[in-house]
Amino acid sequence: MDVLTLNGITKYYGKIRALNNVSFSVPEGSVFGILGPNGSGKTTMLGIIMDILRPTSGTFTFYGAPSSAAIRRQIGTLLETPNFYHYLSGERNLRIAAEIKGKGHNQIEHVLHKVNLYQRKDSKFSTYSLGMKQRLAIASCLLGDPKVLVFDEPTNGLDPVGIAEIRELIKNLAKEGKTIIMASHLLDEVEKVCTHVGILKMGNLLAAGKVDEVLVNEDIVEVGASNIQLLEQVLYSLNGYTTIKKHNEYIQLFFPVGAANLEKINAHCFNNSVVLSHLRLKKKSLETKFLELTNQ
Amino acid sequence: MLQSLKIEWLKVKNYRTFWILSALYILSIWGINYIVYVVQWKIYHDKNAGDAAKLFLGGPPYAFPKVWAMTAYVSSYLLFIAGLIMIINVTNEFSFKTHRQNIIDGETRTQFIITKLVCGAVVALVSTLFVFLTAMFFGITAEEGGFSFENFQYILYFFLQALSYCWLAIFFSLLFKRSGISIGVFFLYTIVLENVLVQALNYYANGSGRYLPIQSSDELLPLPFLEKIQQEISKSEVNTTLQLVLVFVYLAAYFFFSKRKFETDDL
Repeated sequence: MDVLTLNGITKYYGKIRALNNVSFSVPEGSVFGILGPNGSGKTTMLGIIMDILRPTSGTFTFYGAPSSAAIRRQIGTLLETPNFYHYLSGERNLRIAAEIKGKGHNQIEHVLHKVNLYQRKDSKFSTYSLGMKQRLAIASCLLGDPKVLVFDEPTNGLDPVGIAEIRELIKNLAKEGKTIIMASHLLDEVEKVCTHVGILKMGNLLAAGKVDEVLVNEDIVEVGASNIQLLEQVLYSLNGYTTIKKHNEYIQLFFPVGAANLEKINAHCFNNSVVLSHLRLKKKSLETKFLELTNQ
Repeated sequence: MLQSLKIEWLKVKNYRTFWILSALYILSIWGINYIVYVVQWKIYHDKNAGDAAKLFLGGPPYAFPKVWAMTAYVSSYLLFIAGLIMIINVTNEFSFKTHRQNIIDGETRTQFIITKLVCGAVVALVSTLFVFLTAMFFGITAEEGGFSFENFQYILYFFLQALSYCWLAIFFSLLFKRSGISIGVFFLYTIVLENVLVQALNYYANGSGRYLPIQSSDELLPLPFLEKIQQEISKSEVNTTLQLVLVFVYLAAYFFFSKRKFETDDL
Protein backbone atom coordinates (compact mmCIF):
# COMPACT_ATOMS: atom_id res chain seq x y z
CA MET A 1 0.00 0.00 0.00
CA ASP A 2 1.28 3.44 -0.87
CA VAL A 3 1.48 5.87 2.01
CA LEU A 4 1.57 8.96 -0.16
CA THR A 5 0.70 9.48 -3.81
CA LEU A 6 1.20 12.71 -5.74
CA ASN A 7 -0.70 13.23 -8.99
CA GLY A 8 0.58 16.00 -11.24
CA ILE A 9 1.37 18.55 -8.55
CA THR A 10 2.22 21.93 -10.06
CA LYS A 11 2.98 25.06 -8.08
CA TYR A 12 3.56 28.59 -9.29
CA TYR A 13 4.78 31.46 -7.11
CA GLY A 14 3.61 34.27 -9.33
CA LYS A 15 5.44 33.62 -12.59
CA ILE A 16 8.00 31.31 -11.08
CA ARG A 17 7.25 27.64 -11.49
CA ALA A 18 8.43 25.84 -8.36
CA LEU A 19 6.98 22.43 -9.21
CA ASN A 20 6.08 21.07 -12.61
CA ASN A 21 3.61 18.21 -12.82
CA VAL A 22 5.25 16.05 -10.15
CA SER A 23 3.83 12.56 -9.66
CA PHE A 24 5.18 9.66 -7.62
CA SER A 25 4.27 7.27 -4.84
CA VAL A 26 5.88 6.47 -1.53
CA PRO A 27 5.50 2.77 -0.63
CA GLU A 28 4.79 1.79 2.96
CA GLY A 29 7.87 1.02 5.02
CA SER A 30 10.27 2.79 2.67
CA VAL A 31 12.73 5.54 3.46
CA PHE A 32 11.99 7.84 0.58
CA GLY A 33 14.62 10.46 -0.11
CA ILE A 34 13.76 13.55 -2.09
CA LEU A 35 17.04 14.65 -3.52
CA GLY A 36 17.71 17.90 -5.24
CA PRO A 37 19.92 20.96 -5.23
CA ASN A 38 18.92 24.08 -3.29
CA GLY A 39 15.81 25.68 -4.74
CA SER A 40 14.69 22.57 -6.60
CA GLY A 41 11.25 22.54 -4.97
CA LYS A 42 11.75 19.99 -2.19
CA THR A 43 10.34 22.13 0.63
CA THR A 44 7.54 23.45 -1.60
CA MET A 45 6.51 19.87 -2.28
CA LEU A 46 6.51 18.92 1.39
CA GLY A 47 4.69 22.18 2.24
CA ILE A 48 1.94 21.24 -0.20
CA ILE A 49 1.40 17.77 1.25
CA MET A 50 1.26 19.35 4.74
CA ASP A 51 -1.44 21.86 3.66
CA ILE A 52 0.58 24.99 4.36
CA LEU A 53 0.97 25.72 0.65
CA ARG A 54 -1.75 25.49 -1.97
CA PRO A 55 -0.86 23.63 -5.18
CA THR A 56 -1.71 25.48 -8.39
CA SER A 57 -2.94 22.19 -9.79
CA GLY A 58 -2.74 18.47 -9.06
CA THR A 59 -3.82 16.31 -6.14
CA PHE A 60 -2.29 14.05 -3.50
CA THR A 61 -3.56 11.35 -1.20
CA PHE A 62 -2.44 9.68 2.03
CA TYR A 63 -3.30 5.98 2.16
CA GLY A 64 -5.55 6.56 -0.83
CA ALA A 65 -7.65 9.21 0.94
CA PRO A 66 -7.54 13.00 0.59
CA SER A 67 -5.37 14.77 3.14
CA SER A 68 -6.95 16.00 6.38
CA ALA A 69 -5.96 17.44 9.73
CA ALA A 70 -6.65 14.04 11.31
CA ILE A 71 -4.08 12.42 9.02
CA ARG A 72 -1.52 15.16 9.74
CA ARG A 73 -1.86 14.39 13.45
CA GLN A 74 -0.59 10.88 12.69
CA ILE A 75 2.48 12.16 10.81
CA GLY A 76 5.57 13.62 12.46
CA THR A 77 6.82 16.48 10.34
CA LEU A 78 9.88 18.69 10.44
CA LEU A 79 9.62 21.29 7.69
CA GLU A 80 12.49 23.57 6.71
CA THR A 81 13.30 25.12 10.11
CA PRO A 82 12.34 24.18 13.67
CA ASN A 83 9.25 26.30 14.41
CA PHE A 84 8.71 26.91 18.11
CA TYR A 85 7.69 29.66 20.55
CA HIS A 86 10.97 31.38 21.40
CA TYR A 87 9.88 32.46 24.86
CA LEU A 88 8.83 28.97 26.00
CA SER A 89 11.04 26.14 27.21
CA GLY A 90 11.64 23.07 25.06
CA GLU A 91 9.30 21.01 27.18
CA ARG A 92 6.49 23.58 27.13
CA ASN A 93 6.79 23.78 23.34
CA LEU A 94 6.39 20.02 23.13
CA ARG A 95 3.28 20.23 25.33
CA ILE A 96 1.67 22.52 22.78
CA ALA A 97 2.59 20.11 19.97
CA ALA A 98 1.25 17.16 21.98
CA GLU A 99 -2.03 18.98 22.63
CA ILE A 100 -2.48 19.75 18.93
CA LYS A 101 -1.70 16.16 17.99
CA GLY A 102 -4.11 14.97 20.67
CA LYS A 103 -1.42 12.93 22.44
CA GLY A 104 -0.76 12.79 26.15
CA HIS A 105 2.12 14.61 27.81
CA ASN A 106 3.61 11.37 29.16
CA GLN A 107 5.72 10.80 26.03
CA ILE A 108 7.49 14.13 26.24
CA GLU A 109 10.24 12.91 28.56
CA HIS A 110 10.80 9.85 26.41
CA VAL A 111 11.27 11.78 23.15
CA LEU A 112 13.51 14.33 24.85
CA HIS A 113 15.74 11.49 26.01
CA LYS A 114 15.72 10.02 22.53
CA VAL A 115 17.26 13.14 20.99
CA ASN A 116 19.58 13.86 23.95
CA LEU A 117 17.87 17.06 24.99
CA TYR A 118 16.47 16.07 28.37
CA GLN A 119 19.04 18.06 30.37
CA ARG A 120 18.03 21.28 28.64
CA LYS A 121 14.28 20.73 28.62
CA ASP A 122 13.60 23.69 30.92
CA SER A 123 15.73 26.18 28.99
CA LYS A 124 13.98 28.65 26.75
CA PHE A 125 13.93 27.71 23.07
CA SER A 126 15.63 31.03 22.23
CA THR A 127 18.73 29.92 24.17
CA TYR A 128 19.15 26.71 22.15
CA SER A 129 21.89 26.27 19.58
CA LEU A 130 20.89 25.49 15.99
CA GLY A 131 21.61 21.80 16.56
CA MET A 132 19.50 21.71 19.72
CA LYS A 133 16.62 23.42 17.93
CA GLN A 134 16.85 20.75 15.25
CA ARG A 135 16.82 18.01 17.89
CA LEU A 136 13.75 19.51 19.55
CA ALA A 137 12.00 19.55 16.18
CA ILE A 138 12.83 15.88 15.70
CA ALA A 139 11.62 15.13 19.23
CA SER A 140 8.36 16.85 18.36
CA CYS A 141 8.02 14.64 15.27
CA LEU A 142 8.38 11.53 17.41
CA LEU A 143 5.50 12.49 19.73
CA GLY A 144 2.71 9.96 19.54
CA ASP A 145 4.92 7.37 17.84
CA PRO A 146 3.70 8.19 14.30
CA LYS A 147 3.87 5.60 11.53
CA VAL A 148 4.92 8.16 8.95
CA LEU A 149 7.64 10.77 9.39
CA VAL A 150 8.51 13.67 7.12
CA PHE A 151 11.94 15.23 7.55
CA ASP A 152 13.13 18.23 5.59
CA GLU A 153 16.92 18.43 5.81
CA PRO A 154 16.98 16.67 9.19
CA THR A 155 20.71 17.00 9.77
CA ASN A 156 20.79 20.71 8.98
CA GLY A 157 22.91 22.60 11.48
CA LEU A 158 24.08 19.54 13.38
CA ASP A 159 27.71 18.76 14.18
CA PRO A 160 29.25 15.51 12.85
CA VAL A 161 28.29 13.58 16.00
CA GLY A 162 24.77 14.92 15.81
CA ILE A 163 24.54 14.05 12.12
CA ALA A 164 25.61 10.47 12.85
CA GLU A 165 23.12 10.23 15.74
CA ILE A 166 20.21 11.48 13.67
CA ARG A 167 21.06 9.15 10.78
CA GLU A 168 21.22 6.28 13.24
CA LEU A 169 17.87 7.36 14.67
CA ILE A 170 16.34 7.45 11.18
CA LYS A 171 17.71 4.01 10.38
CA ASN A 172 16.28 2.65 13.63
CA LEU A 173 12.92 4.22 12.88
CA ALA A 174 13.00 2.57 9.46
CA LYS A 175 13.80 -0.77 11.10
CA GLU A 176 10.71 -0.34 13.28
CA GLY A 177 8.78 -0.33 10.02
CA LYS A 178 8.04 3.36 9.83
CA THR A 179 7.73 5.14 6.52
CA ILE A 180 10.08 8.07 6.27
CA ILE A 181 9.96 10.80 3.66
CA MET A 182 13.14 12.82 3.75
CA ALA A 183 14.27 15.80 1.70
CA SER A 184 17.96 16.38 1.34
CA HIS A 185 20.52 18.03 -0.87
CA LEU A 186 23.15 15.65 0.49
CA LEU A 187 23.53 12.70 -1.81
CA ASP A 188 25.65 10.90 0.71
CA GLU A 189 22.83 11.13 3.25
CA VAL A 190 20.27 9.70 0.83
CA GLU A 191 22.66 6.92 -0.17
CA LYS A 192 23.32 5.98 3.45
CA VAL A 193 19.77 6.15 4.76
CA CYS A 194 17.21 5.78 1.98
CA THR A 195 15.67 2.81 0.20
CA HIS A 196 13.90 4.92 -2.41
CA VAL A 197 14.73 8.22 -4.02
CA GLY A 198 13.12 10.88 -6.16
CA ILE A 199 15.32 13.45 -7.84
CA LEU A 200 14.04 16.98 -8.27
CA LYS A 201 15.58 19.69 -10.36
CA MET A 202 14.02 23.10 -11.02
CA GLY A 203 10.66 21.67 -10.02
CA ASN A 204 10.87 18.71 -12.38
CA LEU A 205 10.98 15.15 -11.12
CA LEU A 206 13.87 13.61 -13.07
CA ALA A 207 13.63 10.11 -11.67
CA ALA A 208 11.97 8.19 -8.86
CA GLY A 209 12.29 4.64 -7.63
CA LYS A 210 14.54 2.37 -5.62
CA VAL A 211 17.92 3.88 -4.79
CA ASP A 212 19.90 1.11 -6.50
CA GLU A 213 17.82 1.50 -9.65
CA VAL A 214 17.87 5.27 -9.89
CA LEU A 215 21.39 5.86 -8.72
CA VAL A 216 22.92 2.94 -10.62
CA ASN A 217 26.55 2.67 -9.73
CA GLU A 218 28.92 1.83 -12.56
CA ASP A 219 32.55 0.98 -13.16
CA ILE A 220 34.06 2.64 -16.19
CA VAL A 221 37.04 1.18 -18.02
CA GLU A 222 39.01 3.39 -20.38
CA VAL A 223 40.97 1.59 -23.10
CA GLY A 224 43.17 3.08 -25.78
CA ALA A 225 45.30 1.77 -28.67
CA SER A 226 47.10 3.26 -31.65
CA ASN A 227 44.45 1.86 -34.03
CA ILE A 228 41.25 2.96 -32.37
CA GLN A 229 38.96 1.62 -35.16
CA LEU A 230 40.39 -1.85 -34.84
CA LEU A 231 40.15 -1.64 -31.05
CA GLU A 232 36.47 -0.76 -31.29
CA GLN A 233 35.77 -3.76 -33.54
CA VAL A 234 37.62 -6.07 -31.19
CA LEU A 235 35.75 -4.75 -28.17
CA TYR A 236 32.41 -5.55 -29.78
CA SER A 237 33.15 -9.22 -29.27
CA LEU A 238 33.88 -8.69 -25.58
CA ASN A 239 31.10 -9.62 -23.14
CA GLY A 240 29.98 -8.19 -19.84
CA TYR A 241 29.75 -4.43 -20.32
CA THR A 242 26.49 -2.54 -20.59
CA THR A 243 27.47 0.43 -22.75
CA ILE A 244 30.33 1.44 -24.99
CA LYS A 245 31.27 5.05 -25.67
CA LYS A 246 33.83 6.13 -28.24
CA HIS A 247 36.02 9.15 -27.63
CA ASN A 248 38.87 10.55 -29.76
CA GLU A 249 41.71 9.17 -27.69
CA TYR A 250 40.09 6.21 -25.96
CA ILE A 251 36.97 4.12 -25.62
CA GLN A 252 34.84 3.89 -22.45
CA LEU A 253 33.24 0.63 -21.36
CA PHE A 254 30.57 0.70 -18.65
CA PHE A 255 30.27 -2.26 -16.30
CA PRO A 256 28.02 -3.01 -13.35
CA VAL A 257 29.84 -2.46 -10.06
CA GLY A 258 32.63 -5.03 -9.58
CA ALA A 259 32.10 -6.71 -12.96
CA ALA A 260 35.03 -5.12 -14.76
CA ASN A 261 38.04 -7.43 -15.15
CA LEU A 262 41.02 -5.55 -16.54
CA GLU A 263 43.15 -8.67 -17.11
CA LYS A 264 40.41 -10.23 -19.19
CA ILE A 265 40.02 -7.09 -21.30
CA ASN A 266 43.75 -6.88 -21.85
CA ALA A 267 44.02 -10.55 -22.81
CA HIS A 268 41.02 -10.31 -25.14
CA CYS A 269 42.52 -7.40 -27.03
CA PHE A 270 45.99 -8.97 -27.20
CA ASN A 271 44.59 -12.25 -28.49
CA ASN A 272 42.83 -10.26 -31.21
CA SER A 273 46.13 -8.58 -32.14
CA VAL A 274 45.45 -5.18 -30.58
CA VAL A 275 48.07 -3.94 -28.16
CA LEU A 276 46.66 -1.53 -25.62
CA SER A 277 48.41 1.77 -24.97
CA HIS A 278 45.95 2.81 -22.24
CA LEU A 279 43.95 0.77 -19.73
CA ARG A 280 42.38 2.35 -16.68
CA LEU A 281 39.55 1.58 -14.24
CA LYS A 282 37.49 4.56 -13.08
CA LYS A 283 35.02 4.21 -10.23
CA LYS A 284 32.02 6.31 -11.01
CA SER A 285 30.83 7.99 -7.86
CA LEU A 286 27.21 8.67 -7.02
CA GLU A 287 28.20 12.28 -7.00
CA THR A 288 28.91 12.25 -10.75
CA LYS A 289 25.75 10.28 -11.33
CA PHE A 290 23.77 12.86 -9.41
CA LEU A 291 25.40 15.74 -11.26
CA GLU A 292 24.77 13.92 -14.52
CA LEU A 293 21.11 13.53 -13.67
CA THR A 294 20.63 17.09 -12.53
CA ASN A 295 22.61 18.55 -15.43
CA GLN A 296 20.39 17.09 -18.09
CA MET B 1 -13.04 24.90 20.52
CA LEU B 2 -12.29 24.35 24.20
CA GLN B 3 -9.23 22.30 23.22
CA SER B 4 -8.08 25.09 20.86
CA LEU B 5 -8.48 27.65 23.64
CA LYS B 6 -6.50 25.43 25.98
CA ILE B 7 -3.66 25.39 23.43
CA GLU B 8 -3.91 29.17 23.15
CA TRP B 9 -3.67 29.34 26.94
CA LEU B 10 -0.47 27.25 26.89
CA LYS B 11 0.97 29.74 24.39
CA VAL B 12 0.39 32.82 26.60
CA LYS B 13 0.62 31.26 30.06
CA ASN B 14 4.37 31.80 30.31
CA TYR B 15 4.62 34.77 27.96
CA ARG B 16 5.81 37.66 30.10
CA THR B 17 5.24 40.41 27.49
CA PHE B 18 1.58 39.44 27.32
CA TRP B 19 1.04 39.55 31.08
CA ILE B 20 2.94 42.80 31.64
CA LEU B 21 1.04 44.54 28.83
CA SER B 22 -2.30 43.15 29.99
CA ALA B 23 -1.70 44.18 33.61
CA LEU B 24 -0.65 47.71 32.63
CA TYR B 25 -3.57 47.97 30.23
CA ILE B 26 -6.10 46.99 32.88
CA LEU B 27 -4.47 49.28 35.43
CA SER B 28 -4.64 52.08 32.87
CA ILE B 29 -8.38 51.57 32.36
CA TRP B 30 -8.82 52.50 35.98
CA GLY B 31 -6.04 55.12 35.76
CA ILE B 32 -7.35 57.11 32.81
CA ASN B 33 -10.78 57.24 34.45
CA TYR B 34 -9.21 58.34 37.71
CA ILE B 35 -7.50 61.28 35.96
CA VAL B 36 -10.79 62.48 34.45
CA TYR B 37 -12.55 61.80 37.75
CA VAL B 38 -10.13 64.06 39.63
CA VAL B 39 -10.61 66.87 37.12
CA GLN B 40 -14.40 66.72 37.32
CA TRP B 41 -14.28 66.42 41.12
CA LYS B 42 -12.22 69.62 41.33
CA ILE B 43 -14.65 71.44 39.03
CA TYR B 44 -17.72 70.30 40.92
CA HIS B 45 -16.15 71.19 44.29
CA ASP B 46 -15.08 74.65 43.17
CA LYS B 47 -17.51 77.27 44.44
CA ASN B 48 -18.08 79.18 41.21
CA ALA B 49 -17.29 76.54 38.59
CA GLY B 50 -19.29 73.90 40.48
CA ASP B 51 -22.50 75.89 40.33
CA ALA B 52 -21.98 76.64 36.65
CA ALA B 53 -21.23 72.99 35.90
CA LYS B 54 -24.34 71.81 37.71
CA LEU B 55 -26.39 74.39 35.84
CA PHE B 56 -25.14 73.52 32.35
CA LEU B 57 -24.08 69.90 32.63
CA GLY B 58 -26.29 68.50 35.35
CA GLY B 59 -25.01 66.00 37.93
CA PRO B 60 -21.36 64.88 37.97
CA PRO B 61 -20.43 62.37 35.22
CA TYR B 62 -18.76 59.91 37.62
CA ALA B 63 -21.99 59.20 39.49
CA PHE B 64 -24.90 56.96 38.58
CA PRO B 65 -26.49 56.96 36.06
CA LYS B 66 -23.96 58.84 33.89
CA VAL B 67 -20.99 56.81 35.10
CA TRP B 68 -21.67 53.89 32.72
CA ALA B 69 -21.49 56.11 29.68
CA MET B 70 -18.64 58.20 31.04
CA THR B 71 -16.37 55.27 31.93
CA ALA B 72 -17.09 53.56 28.61
CA TYR B 73 -16.31 56.78 26.72
CA VAL B 74 -13.06 57.55 28.56
CA SER B 75 -11.85 53.92 28.51
CA SER B 76 -12.40 53.64 24.76
CA TYR B 77 -9.31 55.85 24.28
CA LEU B 78 -7.22 52.90 25.51
CA LEU B 79 -8.62 50.33 23.10
CA PHE B 80 -5.62 50.62 20.79
CA ILE B 81 -3.74 48.72 23.51
CA ALA B 82 -6.22 45.84 23.25
CA GLY B 83 -5.51 45.89 19.52
CA LEU B 84 -1.77 45.89 20.24
CA ILE B 85 -2.11 42.78 22.39
CA MET B 86 -3.95 41.00 19.57
CA ILE B 87 -1.38 42.11 16.96
CA ILE B 88 1.45 40.73 19.10
CA ASN B 89 -0.46 37.50 19.62
CA VAL B 90 -1.02 36.94 15.90
CA THR B 91 2.24 38.28 14.42
CA ASN B 92 4.24 36.20 16.92
CA GLU B 93 2.86 33.12 15.17
CA PHE B 94 4.07 34.49 11.84
CA SER B 95 7.54 35.44 13.07
CA PHE B 96 8.06 32.09 14.85
CA LYS B 97 6.41 30.33 11.87
CA THR B 98 4.36 28.47 14.46
CA HIS B 99 1.20 29.13 12.42
CA ARG B 100 2.71 26.67 9.93
CA GLN B 101 3.74 24.23 12.63
CA ASN B 102 0.29 24.27 14.23
CA ILE B 103 -1.25 23.31 10.87
CA ILE B 104 1.46 20.70 10.23
CA ASP B 105 0.85 19.19 13.67
CA GLY B 106 -2.82 18.76 12.85
CA GLU B 107 -4.90 21.88 13.43
CA THR B 108 -7.06 22.92 10.51
CA ARG B 109 -6.58 26.37 9.04
CA THR B 110 -10.16 27.19 9.99
CA GLN B 111 -9.62 26.08 13.58
CA PHE B 112 -6.51 28.23 13.84
CA ILE B 113 -8.06 31.46 12.59
CA ILE B 114 -11.37 31.00 14.42
CA THR B 115 -9.44 30.44 17.65
CA LYS B 116 -7.58 33.72 17.12
CA LEU B 117 -10.87 35.54 16.49
CA VAL B 118 -12.34 34.00 19.64
CA CYS B 119 -9.24 35.18 21.52
CA GLY B 120 -9.99 38.68 20.23
CA ALA B 121 -13.49 38.32 21.66
CA VAL B 122 -12.03 37.19 24.99
CA VAL B 123 -9.75 40.25 25.13
CA ALA B 124 -12.75 42.47 24.31
CA LEU B 125 -14.79 40.72 27.00
CA VAL B 126 -12.10 41.09 29.67
CA SER B 127 -11.67 44.77 28.74
CA THR B 128 -15.42 45.25 29.12
CA LEU B 129 -15.42 43.46 32.44
CA PHE B 130 -12.80 45.85 33.81
CA VAL B 131 -14.65 48.86 32.42
CA PHE B 132 -17.73 47.55 34.21
CA LEU B 133 -15.81 47.15 37.49
CA THR B 134 -14.24 50.61 37.11
CA ALA B 135 -17.64 52.17 36.52
CA MET B 136 -19.04 50.34 39.56
CA PHE B 137 -16.14 51.58 41.66
CA PHE B 138 -16.60 55.26 40.77
CA GLY B 139 -20.38 55.02 40.86
CA ILE B 140 -20.51 53.49 44.30
CA THR B 141 -17.87 55.80 45.81
CA ALA B 142 -19.58 58.89 44.35
CA GLU B 143 -21.23 61.24 46.84
CA GLU B 144 -24.43 61.52 44.90
CA GLY B 145 -26.67 59.34 42.78
CA GLY B 146 -28.06 55.97 43.87
CA PHE B 147 -27.13 52.71 42.06
CA SER B 148 -28.85 52.41 38.73
CA PHE B 149 -28.58 50.38 35.53
CA GLU B 150 -29.82 53.32 33.50
CA ASN B 151 -27.38 53.92 30.63
CA PHE B 152 -25.91 50.42 31.07
CA GLN B 153 -26.22 49.86 27.30
CA TYR B 154 -23.05 51.95 26.94
CA ILE B 155 -21.09 49.12 28.55
CA LEU B 156 -22.42 46.79 25.84
CA TYR B 157 -21.52 49.34 23.16
CA PHE B 158 -18.05 49.42 24.66
CA PHE B 159 -17.81 45.67 24.14
CA LEU B 160 -18.74 46.08 20.49
CA GLN B 161 -16.12 48.77 20.02
CA ALA B 162 -13.49 46.64 21.81
CA LEU B 163 -14.35 43.73 19.53
CA SER B 164 -14.07 46.01 16.49
CA TYR B 165 -10.56 47.08 17.55
CA CYS B 166 -9.44 43.49 18.26
CA TRP B 167 -10.74 42.02 15.01
CA LEU B 168 -9.43 44.92 12.95
CA ALA B 169 -6.07 44.33 14.65
CA ILE B 170 -6.21 40.63 13.71
CA PHE B 171 -7.09 41.51 10.14
CA PHE B 172 -4.16 43.97 9.89
CA SER B 173 -1.83 41.29 11.34
CA LEU B 174 -2.93 38.79 8.69
CA LEU B 175 -2.48 41.42 6.03
CA PHE B 176 1.01 42.61 6.99
CA LYS B 177 2.30 39.55 8.89
CA ARG B 178 5.13 41.54 10.52
CA SER B 179 4.57 43.08 13.94
CA GLY B 180 6.26 46.45 13.30
CA ILE B 181 4.31 47.40 10.22
CA SER B 182 1.03 45.99 11.63
CA ILE B 183 1.34 48.00 14.86
CA GLY B 184 2.40 51.14 13.00
CA VAL B 185 -0.45 51.04 10.50
CA PHE B 186 -2.99 50.05 13.15
CA PHE B 187 -2.05 52.89 15.52
CA LEU B 188 -1.81 55.51 12.81
CA TYR B 189 -5.10 54.42 11.25
CA THR B 190 -7.17 54.18 14.43
CA ILE B 191 -5.66 57.19 16.20
CA VAL B 192 -4.96 59.65 13.38
CA LEU B 193 -5.80 58.67 9.82
CA GLU B 194 -9.38 57.61 10.30
CA ASN B 195 -10.11 60.76 12.29
CA VAL B 196 -8.71 62.85 9.46
CA LEU B 197 -10.96 60.95 7.03
CA VAL B 198 -13.93 61.42 9.34
CA GLN B 199 -13.41 65.19 9.44
CA ALA B 200 -12.91 65.37 5.69
CA LEU B 201 -15.98 63.24 4.92
CA ASN B 202 -18.08 65.15 7.43
CA TYR B 203 -17.12 68.40 5.77
CA TYR B 204 -17.20 67.44 2.11
CA ALA B 205 -19.58 64.48 2.07
CA ASN B 206 -22.48 65.50 4.23
CA GLY B 207 -21.43 63.98 7.55
CA SER B 208 -20.72 60.50 6.17
CA GLY B 209 -17.56 60.20 8.25
CA ARG B 210 -19.54 58.32 10.88
CA TYR B 211 -19.79 55.31 8.60
CA LEU B 212 -16.07 54.53 8.72
CA PRO B 213 -15.02 51.29 10.47
CA ILE B 214 -13.86 52.57 13.87
CA GLN B 215 -15.90 55.77 13.84
CA SER B 216 -19.11 53.78 13.41
CA SER B 217 -18.55 52.25 16.84
CA ASP B 218 -17.16 55.54 18.24
CA GLU B 219 -20.49 57.17 17.49
CA LEU B 220 -22.14 54.78 19.94
CA LEU B 221 -20.05 56.20 22.78
CA PRO B 222 -20.52 59.99 22.86
CA LEU B 223 -19.13 62.10 25.68
CA PRO B 224 -22.17 61.98 27.99
CA PHE B 225 -22.60 65.55 29.18
CA LEU B 226 -21.58 67.11 25.87
CA GLU B 227 -24.00 64.97 23.89
CA LYS B 228 -26.48 67.78 23.54
CA ILE B 229 -23.86 70.35 22.58
CA GLN B 230 -22.31 67.94 20.06
CA GLN B 231 -25.67 67.40 18.44
CA GLU B 232 -26.17 71.11 18.21
CA ILE B 233 -22.86 71.51 16.42
CA SER B 234 -23.25 68.65 13.97
CA LYS B 235 -26.94 69.39 13.52
CA SER B 236 -27.77 65.74 13.44
CA GLU B 237 -28.71 63.11 15.95
CA VAL B 238 -26.85 59.84 16.20
CA ASN B 239 -28.99 57.09 14.78
CA THR B 240 -28.09 54.33 17.23
CA THR B 241 -29.79 51.56 15.28
CA LEU B 242 -28.01 52.48 12.07
CA GLN B 243 -24.66 52.68 13.86
CA LEU B 244 -25.25 49.29 15.49
CA VAL B 245 -26.07 47.72 12.15
CA LEU B 246 -22.91 49.23 10.69
CA VAL B 247 -20.79 47.91 13.57
CA PHE B 248 -22.17 44.41 13.00
CA VAL B 249 -21.56 44.67 9.26
CA TYR B 250 -17.93 45.66 9.87
CA LEU B 251 -17.48 42.86 12.44
CA ALA B 252 -18.88 40.33 9.98
CA ALA B 253 -16.49 41.68 7.33
CA TYR B 254 -13.42 41.38 9.61
CA PHE B 255 -14.48 37.85 10.51
CA PHE B 256 -15.16 36.78 6.95
CA PHE B 257 -12.08 38.31 5.33
CA SER B 258 -9.70 37.14 8.08
CA LYS B 259 -11.06 33.61 7.83
CA ARG B 260 -10.90 33.53 4.05
CA LYS B 261 -7.42 35.01 3.94
CA PHE B 262 -5.96 32.47 6.34
CA GLU B 263 -7.79 29.58 4.71
CA THR B 264 -6.59 30.30 1.18
CA ASP B 265 -3.13 31.89 1.58
CA ASP B 266 0.20 30.14 1.25
CA LEU B 267 1.34 30.15 4.87
